[in-house]
Amino acid sequence: MTLPTRQRIRPPAGRDRGTRKGSGLEGDRGFVSDQDWRRPGVRRTLGGLHLVLLVLLVVIGVGPMLLLAKFAITPTQDIIRTPLAIFPHGIAWSNISQAWNDVQISRYFLNTVWVALGSWFVQLLVATTGGFVLSVLRPKWAALVNALVIATLFVPAVVLLVPLYLTVLHPPVIGTSLINTYWAVWLPAGASAFNVVLMARFFDSLPREIFEAARVDGAGPFRLFASIVLPMSKPILGVVSVFAFIASWKDFLWPMLVLKNPDIQPLSVRLPSIAAQTDLGVFLAALAISTLIPVLLFIGFQRLFLSGAGLGGAVKG
Amino acid sequence: MKSPRIMKACTLVAAIGLGTTLAACSSAATDAGSAPANAAAGQDASSPAGTTPPTTDAASTDSSADASTESSTEGAGDGAGSSPAASSPAASNPNVLDPNTKVTLNVVGLLPGSKPDAIKALADEVAQFQKENPNITVKTHDYEWKATTFAADLAGGTLPTVFEIPFTDGKTLIANEQIADMQPYLDQLAYAKEFNKNVLQYGQGPNGDVYAIPAKSVYGVGLHYNRELFTQAGLDPDKPPTSWDEVRAAAKAIAGKTGQAGFAQMSQNGTGGWQLTVDTYARGGRVETNDGDKATATVNNDQTKAALQFLHDLRWTDNSMGANFNYDWGSINQAFAAGKVGMYTSGQDVYTSLVQTNNIDPKSYGLTMIPLQGADSGVLGGGTMAAVTATASSDEKAAAIKWIDFHYLRKYTDQTAAVALAKIQLASKQPVGTPELPIFSEQQYETYKSWIAPLVNVPLDQMTGFTDKILDATLVNEPAVATQDVYAALEPVVQAVLTNKDANIDALLNDANSKAQRAIDAASR
Amino acid sequence: MGAARTLTPPADLEAVATADRPARAGGAGRRSGPLTWVRRGGLSTLVFALPLLVVFGFFSWWPIVRAVVMSFQRTNLVKPATWVGWDNFRYVLTDPDLPVAIRNTAYFALLALVIGFPIPLLLAVLMSSVRRAKGLYSVLAYLPVVVPPVVAVLLWKFFYDGSADGVFNTILGWVGLGPYAWLSSPSLAMPSLVLEATWAAAGGTVIIYLAALIGVPGEVYDAAEVDGAGLWHKVWHVTMPQLRGVLFITFILQIIGTVQVFIEPFLFTGGGPANATQTILLMIYQYAFGRSLGGDYGAATALSVMLAAVLAVLSVLYFRLTASWSKT
Repeated sequence: MTLPTRQRIRPPAGRDRGTRKGSGLEGDRGFVSDQDWRRPGVRRTLGGLHLVLLVLLVVIGVGPMLLLAKFAITPTQDIIRTPLAIFPHGIAWSNISQAWNDVQISRYFLNTVWVALGSWFVQLLVATTGGFVLSVLRPKWAALVNALVIATLFVPAVVLLVPLYLTVLHPPVIGTSLINTYWAVWLPAGASAFNVVLMARFFDSLPREIFEAARVDGAGPFRLFASIVLPMSKPILGVVSVFAFIASWKDFLWPMLVLKNPDIQPLSVRLPSIAAQTDLGVFLAALAISTLIPVLLFIGFQRLFLSGAGLGGAVKG
Repeated sequence: MKSPRIMKACTLVAAIGLGTTLAACSSAATDAGSAPANAAAGQDASSPAGTTPPTTDAASTDSSADASTESSTEGAGDGAGSSPAASSPAASNPNVLDPNTKVTLNVVGLLPGSKPDAIKALADEVAQFQKENPNITVKTHDYEWKATTFAADLAGGTLPTVFEIPFTDGKTLIANEQIADMQPYLDQLAYAKEFNKNVLQYGQGPNGDVYAIPAKSVYGVGLHYNRELFTQAGLDPDKPPTSWDEVRAAAKAIAGKTGQAGFAQMSQNGTGGWQLTVDTYARGGRVETNDGDKATATVNNDQTKAALQFLHDLRWTDNSMGANFNYDWGSINQAFAAGKVGMYTSGQDVYTSLVQTNNIDPKSYGLTMIPLQGADSGVLGGGTMAAVTATASSDEKAAAIKWIDFHYLRKYTDQTAAVALAKIQLASKQPVGTPELPIFSEQQYETYKSWIAPLVNVPLDQMTGFTDKILDATLVNEPAVATQDVYAALEPVVQAVLTNKDANIDALLNDANSKAQRAIDAASR
Repeated sequence: MGAARTLTPPADLEAVATADRPARAGGAGRRSGPLTWVRRGGLSTLVFALPLLVVFGFFSWWPIVRAVVMSFQRTNLVKPATWVGWDNFRYVLTDPDLPVAIRNTAYFALLALVIGFPIPLLLAVLMSSVRRAKGLYSVLAYLPVVVPPVVAVLLWKFFYDGSADGVFNTILGWVGLGPYAWLSSPSLAMPSLVLEATWAAAGGTVIIYLAALIGVPGEVYDAAEVDGAGLWHKVWHVTMPQLRGVLFITFILQIIGTVQVFIEPFLFTGGGPANATQTILLMIYQYAFGRSLGGDYGAATALSVMLAAVLAVLSVLYFRLTASWSKT
């Protein structure tokens, strides 16, 4: 099996970074050449199209979020009666404080972070150590494990829903139910064949001579892993981290099934269950707060997000 | 054809107990004359009359005859089954909690998203309980029973030790051994024998032991209306509609004058089927009949059709139902409290939740009877029982009964407790005195009301349309077999009628009937 | 040998099988004994493999096996499971809701393709020709993707309010349209779901295309220009063929993804109105978790297994094609 994006996941090669700016999505040239640009017709048409595009992106992409931000500080009655009027009866800052304190968005927010951090750690642990075994240590049984891991790529998540739930309910060997513990979310998140394969492919592309040299110097597998392989893998670690974090931030069905105790639920599970019992203005404020953090994270780390999305989308099956 | 007298007795049976299902009764009623054998009666002093519609002398004759039938055929009732007499001294009873044993008890608390005042009231109550029982630590958990999530909670073992279930779920949970036999613990309570039998039967196992204990929200479905919208529409809020035609006219007036939905109907998460069953009963129809062990779906009956046609007319002819047809129990409450709904039907006790979670303005609230029309019409009744997980330890069960006593029941039989609880609730601006149907005897309930009368803060005079009449009305049980599945089969029909002008009611109901029958058959597969 | 035994999760058949192997293979035969095996790094290899073996064993391989087994059993977790042969499959296949769910799922997938396939492509091609502030375009396009899906659905649910005062109805009212019933209309409900889903996901697809567009080597265009190709010609005859691979991949992935749609119907409509948005995954959920009194886990897994079989065919197709493309 060959992953189509393999060519694009290159080992560090730190130098070419300097040439990439912004999101890392700017190539040297597109289908429009410099000559094309010099033609006024092209310039006008394309320029106009770009402007329209920008406006559309702002209205459609950002518009709903701006509306949400407005609703978050609009009195409920105004939201219901005249949703698009601009603050006809003043601003209700109290929505935000009520959402944060009474609805306890702060707590669910922390829960969400905690869920995401744990999932991130487990995924990274499994992917790096697993990839290391499959790609670098390569015991004879690696082929079998590799095949078994890849086989799970063909099994859609939905098949696992019920049996995984029952496994978490009565885990073999451990015995005690993992329901209502974060382990029930963290551990299954680690079983991501995509991460393992991505990591192993990346390790494959690292120069073998370095490993050999290290071995000759007497480095055991642990030193090899911690001091050589991991430091060389920062780009892929970043990508997998972003995937892991985002996926767990977005997850709904699984946490809803296994985190039944409201005290430990993440936002995605909690928000729907309080919708009918919460004042609309307060509820929309809660939604706004829940949106703000990932948006800020994205804007802060846009380069990582976008490069991850660019290569990840193609292999996420 | 059908003798009205027998049918009346039959609905009585349904309301009053014996474990005889309503369906069995209505089919028995078709071969007139044999019915009284099944019928149990309401007039017996020991079976309190809260839900009894005695009225006709015929019914009362039936009743007295049936009182004996009850004990002979069923043999259950209270103490007669396997459970020992309640009088055994508590001290030597292994089922009584040793005061030195520390127990942590997980119990259900409020609906998710309740207001801080409600949270504080519950916390005060817990503190009071822990003061009385220093060895028990109570932890409350947010809880909303939903047909669509309960199974996962149940299977996942994530329910609190003490949890709440609707009347309809008791028998299945008992058969599946998913809830604990509480009879030995219940016997410790002084009032163990005083339960309204028709209410108690939902939680009794085949051996007559009580597993789930009637706890709260014993309801008949009422018509809730917004008095302010009535006024705005030029209607008299003190004269709410008493027939479906008047409901329709009022809805039209409200929609026309105020722009809000005149009448709204739940249609999501199993509530659509539930409410259609309500509407069917109110017109005298039934959605399931029960002949011995075999239940039959009868959702394609004329009354259900009439109920749907009523909705269709409001929705498509009058356009008086607003624009939201995705309501479930919680969201319709929210919309009603926000003044977006003129009338809707739901359990009579919903006012408590309207205050606790939706900040309703008490002045705008009105409650009246759901219109009853046609022979055999009745008010769908139900309620909530407290159950204890089957896996609970005996210490937990012993602690649980203390909590159930303290939190749910004691107030009805103990003046001090009633007043103390009411005061806690009053201090946190929680509703005190929302009308209920009696868990014990009707007299007992009247006494209880007199205890808390000075503390009542709900607008009872805006609910007299309901409270004056409900005790004389026929209460009808929910379908006995595969209840939620039958509701699930009906739900798309309600949605179709509300969202598709050309919905073919007959065809939809025929489909729903075969689905419901399939579910009924599957329940025993 | 002993080390291998104690370190493996014995409950898992495959894990045992795979972990047994190092003792023999990695240990260079039984004669050398465990010490040699440890000295050669067998133990540390196993330590490194442990997270993968444990996590995959418990949470992937074992549940997959269990899914297949369970689809032939009846269990409600209370009573012991009984073997029922094809009964669950028969039950599911005769469920009158199944054809509806299949039709709806296919409809969702189709709509999602019709709306969600060309638009991101168009956006990406346009965006690739932007010279200044390309990053801004990407950020704007991607922004909806980072909104948590649950939040997006709940927000849009509010937007879709069917009254004339609803957000979308107010906006459409400005140009004299509507009001529409959106989620309360059997015919509009599914398109409404797809619209939200597309809004939420299109940005991701745009970025994938954009990455692919940038991957097109400049020389290819240079060559075309030497031949005197105009702009349109370049887009159609140079860019598109270069994107062939990634287009097909997103196509298959989108189908696989949309067939498993859950959050939208679950939170927007619960499958309604009148089953108009009832999907296969919703059915699976309802079989297993949506009944108030004990799930039908057998029926749920039987349906899951059948769905998985269909999706697996698509996945195999996907991998075969991508493999053959990366060779050429």
